[in-house]
Amino acid sequence: MRKSEWSDKQLEELIRQMPKIQDHRDPRDIYQNLSIKKRKLIPWILPGIATAAAMLLFLILVPNLMDRTNNSFNEAQEKKSLEQTTAKKDAGIAMDKEEATSKEGVNSGTKEVKLLRTESVKSAIYDDEVGNGKVLTYWIPDQQAQILIPVSTIVSDAGNKSWLTVFEEKMASLKEEEWGLSDFYPLNAKLELDKNNNSVIVDVPSNHLYGQGSTNETSFINVLQKDIASNSNLRKIKFKTNGEPGIELGNYGSMQEQNIESDQKKHAFLFYYPVGSKLPYLTPTNTIYKDFGTALEAMKADQPENGLKSSLSPSLQIYDVTISDKTLSLSLKDDSTLKDNQLTLYSFEALMLTAKEFGVEKIIVKNSPLTHIGPFDLSKENKVPIAPNLRNIQ
Amino acid sequence: MDSVFDELYQKYHHDVFQFLFYMVRNKEHAEDLVQEVYIRVFKSYNRFEGKSSEKTWLFSIARNVAIDFFRKQKGWKERIFEKFDWSSNQVKDDYPIPEEITVQKEEIKWIYKCLEFCTMDQRAVIILRYLNDLSISETAKTLGWTESKVKTTQHRSLKVLKKHMELFYEKEGLTSEKVRVER
Repeated sequence: MRKSEWSDKQLEELIRQMPKIQDHRDPRDIYQNLSIKKRKLIPWILPGIATAAAMLLFLILVPNLMDRTNNSFNEAQEKKSLEQTTAKKDAGIAMDKEEATSKEGVNSGTKEVKLLRTESVKSAIYDDEVGNGKVLTYWIPDQQAQILIPVSTIVSDAGNKSWLTVFEEKMASLKEEEWGLSDFYPLNAKLELDKNNNSVIVDVPSNHLYGQGSTNETSFINVLQKDIASNSNLRKIKFKTNGEPGIELGNYGSMQEQNIESDQKKHAFLFYYPVGSKLPYLTPTNTIYKDFGTALEAMKADQPENGLKSSLSPSLQIYDVTISDKTLSLSLKDDSTLKDNQLTLYSFEALMLTAKEFGVEKIIVKNSPLTHIGPFDLSKENKVPIAPNLRNIQ
Repeated sequence: MDSVFDELYQKYHHDVFQFLFYMVRNKEHAEDLVQEVYIRVFKSYNRFEGKSSEKTWLFSIARNVAIDFFRKQKGWKERIFEKFDWSSNQVKDDYPIPEEITVQKEEIKWIYKCLEFCTMDQRAVIILRYLNDLSISETAKTLGWTESKVKTTQHRSLKVLKKHMELFYEKEGLTSEKVRVER
């Protein structure tokens, strides 16, 4: 028997007696919270917008990044090819020499024998090589644009055209960079002969870049002067821009014309070695010397400010020099340990070119321990070269 | 403030709160749930057709909110587990007894504890019938049941309560003499 039992009525009563639980919050607060909750119903909107923005940024940035990687790839390629071309330079020059050799071989059989013996190749152009062709000399700035280097070529298919026309035609074929020099030709200008005024008209387009930077304009003026001086007897350059007289250059200002000084020779020829090349260019100094003696002294020393090296090898010791009747007489020291090699040949050519600057036409060597330097027979008198630094162009 | 909210608050807020409190047996949860009731009311207020009374409509929403609350309390693992466990097909909670109850006399505390042993439906019927003073037919409309189902559920829940009240009585005893009344 249970101690106690509850009837349904009693239970109902007990339940009814249970306390009323009150919500003590203010109805306003409840309503406020309601509206906050309502707003919270769309909680994905902000993250949604953020995601959309991030996607947009991603889409914008990714193509750019792709481009950049491509670019760097291209750059790497370019670098590679550049290295290859520098590597080729030497080979290219050597090739040129070989061509020149074969040409000489065709010209005279006797020289071929001597060439085979010495394997030394002269660099300049001489009387007997020209034949019916025309000799053109282009002045090309070196890679640092410090000095101008004369490069000459023989044009055999000139016909009856004027030197200037041929000069202009062949400009595009110059391989300056392959030769270790800086790209300068073809000139961004039309060249025209003005025979009445003994001058060359240089007509540049209005968007020419020769006025930008002092190096550019100095090179341009100097190249024009030297090109015209070494290929013709004209004494004046007239400038035109897009047909109108005058040219605007940054440092020179507006220029109408420029005289070419004919007496400005008397330079000494030194060696210029392009980067990565063992064979030098015979290059005239910027400096002018008062006589051959001082020029000869200058040839013994380097000129680092222009990147030039001495062109007289120490073994080529000159005892005495005399010039008479356009003939240079050299006497070498008795004990000179002169060797018949490529460098000596270049030194000898530099000597001849320098002598030519001072009006010499022939050279006689006395007391030579050698009978020959390269193709030159030292027992005879030798003619000075017509132009330095032969390069073949098509 | 919204006039609809104002009206509903005036008329039913405390009743609904009361109902939710005894259903979930926790004041904070009841506060959150009453909020939820209002949100649902506003969402579907224009769909309210007036077929039933406002009161029963509101209570049925409150009940659904409470059921949803209990479902959320349980994780999906427990819910799957529950499917195979037929014996304990009822919701229990472990919240401490609120202050309002503890200050009451012993029997009230027992009743409150005993309510825990009722199923959701049994508890809902007890609260609606005796605490919110709804008639049998009102309760039937609120729960969407027939009146006879309300009656039997009410009967069964009282039986459960009685059984557990007696257990409490045996365990703890009553200092005062309990009057025995015949059924």
